[in-house]
Amino acid sequence: MSLVLAATNESALIDLRAVAKTYETDTGPVHALARVDLKIKRGEFVSLLGPSGCGKTTLMSLIAGLATPSEGEVRIDDMSIRSPYTNLGIVFQNAELLDWRTAIQNIMLQIEIRGLDVKTYLPIARKLLAQVGLKEFENKYPDELSGGMKQRVALCRALIHDPEILLMDEPFGALDAMTRDQMNADLQRIWMQSKKTAILVTHSIDEAVFMSDRVIVMSARPASVVEDLQIDLPRPRSLDVRDTPEFNEYTAHLRARFKALGVFSND
Amino acid sequence: MTETVMTQIQSTSAKAVTKKSKGFGFLVPVCSLLASVLLWEGIVRFFSVPVYILPPPSSIFHTAIAQHQYLLKHAISTSWAIFLGFVWAFAIGIPLATVMTFSASLRRAIYPLLIVAQVLPKVALAPLFIVWFGFGMFPKVVMTFLIALFPIVIDTLAGLSTVRPESLMLLRSMGATRWQSFWKVRLPTALPHIFSGLKIAMTFAVVGAIVAEFVASDSGLGYVLVDARANLDMVMVFAAIIWLIVLGFLFFLAVELAERLFVKGSSHRRSQELGAGL
Repeated sequence: MSLVLAATNESALIDLRAVAKTYETDTGPVHALARVDLKIKRGEFVSLLGPSGCGKTTLMSLIAGLATPSEGEVRIDDMSIRSPYTNLGIVFQNAELLDWRTAIQNIMLQIEIRGLDVKTYLPIARKLLAQVGLKEFENKYPDELSGGMKQRVALCRALIHDPEILLMDEPFGALDAMTRDQMNADLQRIWMQSKKTAILVTHSIDEAVFMSDRVIVMSARPASVVEDLQIDLPRPRSLDVRDTPEFNEYTAHLRARFKALGVFSND
Repeated sequence: MTETVMTQIQSTSAKAVTKKSKGFGFLVPVCSLLASVLLWEGIVRFFSVPVYILPPPSSIFHTAIAQHQYLLKHAISTSWAIFLGFVWAFAIGIPLATVMTFSASLRRAIYPLLIVAQVLPKVALAPLFIVWFGFGMFPKVVMTFLIALFPIVIDTLAGLSTVRPESLMLLRSMGATRWQSFWKVRLPTALPHIFSGLKIAMTFAVVGAIVAEFVASDSGLGYVLVDARANLDMVMVFAAIIWLIVLGFLFFLAVELAERLFVKGSSHRRSQELGAGL
């Protein structure tokens, strides 16, 4: 029985079945998402790539159970998701650290809210901070940290309870290009160690290709899946991989795709 | 690379600390205050201004200290009115604002009442208070409460709605209950706003207690003011005012200290900025 279950889980941890989302607003209904079918395997790194405001974030909140679909069904681990799914960690574009808590206290919020044992998890929080190079910063308040450091703390907070799924909503979108490259490399390293199922929402083609096993290309609102592209680049990928012809083949293909969708209309 | 960033950050924060501790900035306001008192004394003496018009600061300070037993007795009465009115405004204002944050219909029901209570000149109510509550502590506390309530409710209301929706989403993804979200995120986020409301409320509370004492009391510094003026004892009027200034300052300081205790990290600086409008 458990063997059979494991087999089905292997095929798809996250399963979106004909999911659509319409928001009711004062100025009428907004179709954020139009019928998305998507399966994500356990341990896979998947990027949702599309222009800004295309409903990628909506899709993410549907997976987290923070919003309910207007049509269709979200299933995780063969269970229908109707309320917040808590076996996950989220990183938002703004780190969303609490100003009045130090770095380590911000990470421990995850533990406090879940009612887990603080003593058990404090060393884990320290270890995670050390892994992202912030060992010396555990007692710093957020306004004493740079943008990249804050995002590292937010990443630690999303991982401390060892969740099944890691959701990231444009986590590096507000960082400068060099910090962003460093964060991409670090995230890959941490992901390879922890083997989480990861979903990265991004509008950077390079970032999506560099990070992912699969890139899901989404169209403008109402969003739908336009392409499901497998990225076959060996891991671990160093930042130099972005100068290889294989990498550029992927990015060129995706850029052409967006051009055809009318996203880049300038040239 | 990260190493240099670290040392840079450490050195800049160290610089900021030394800059702060080196400053003798507090000397400037002390000097200007002293200068204006001296100027006042000089003008009164040079033009021989009669004492019943404007007494010199020297005799005011003399009376303020010499009559300290009389003044202290009344100051304690005023302090109780300020304290009790403020505590009531706090104990009712914060839950009221909380309820208004979570229920739109209650917000619509309470808000107009609050506005009416605020725009209504409370001094006009004071004579009514004599009829309803008589003389003594109770009407003073009611007046202080009424004046202090509004800024607390309004600022708490504003503070409780500054929380970012992403923060609440994050908490929900952790499986937080509404109570946990409120206690761990929404309320602490609101604290700088709440404290700026409390500071305004505290200065208002002093005014409220004095106004009530003007009209309907036989004790307190407000009563001392009215009584001394009726006897044309201008020195006592000013001595009572000096005590009032000190009293108001101490109460304000108490709120400021509480703020330093409860508001940490950068939200502390944020609340300082909000309070700078005072």
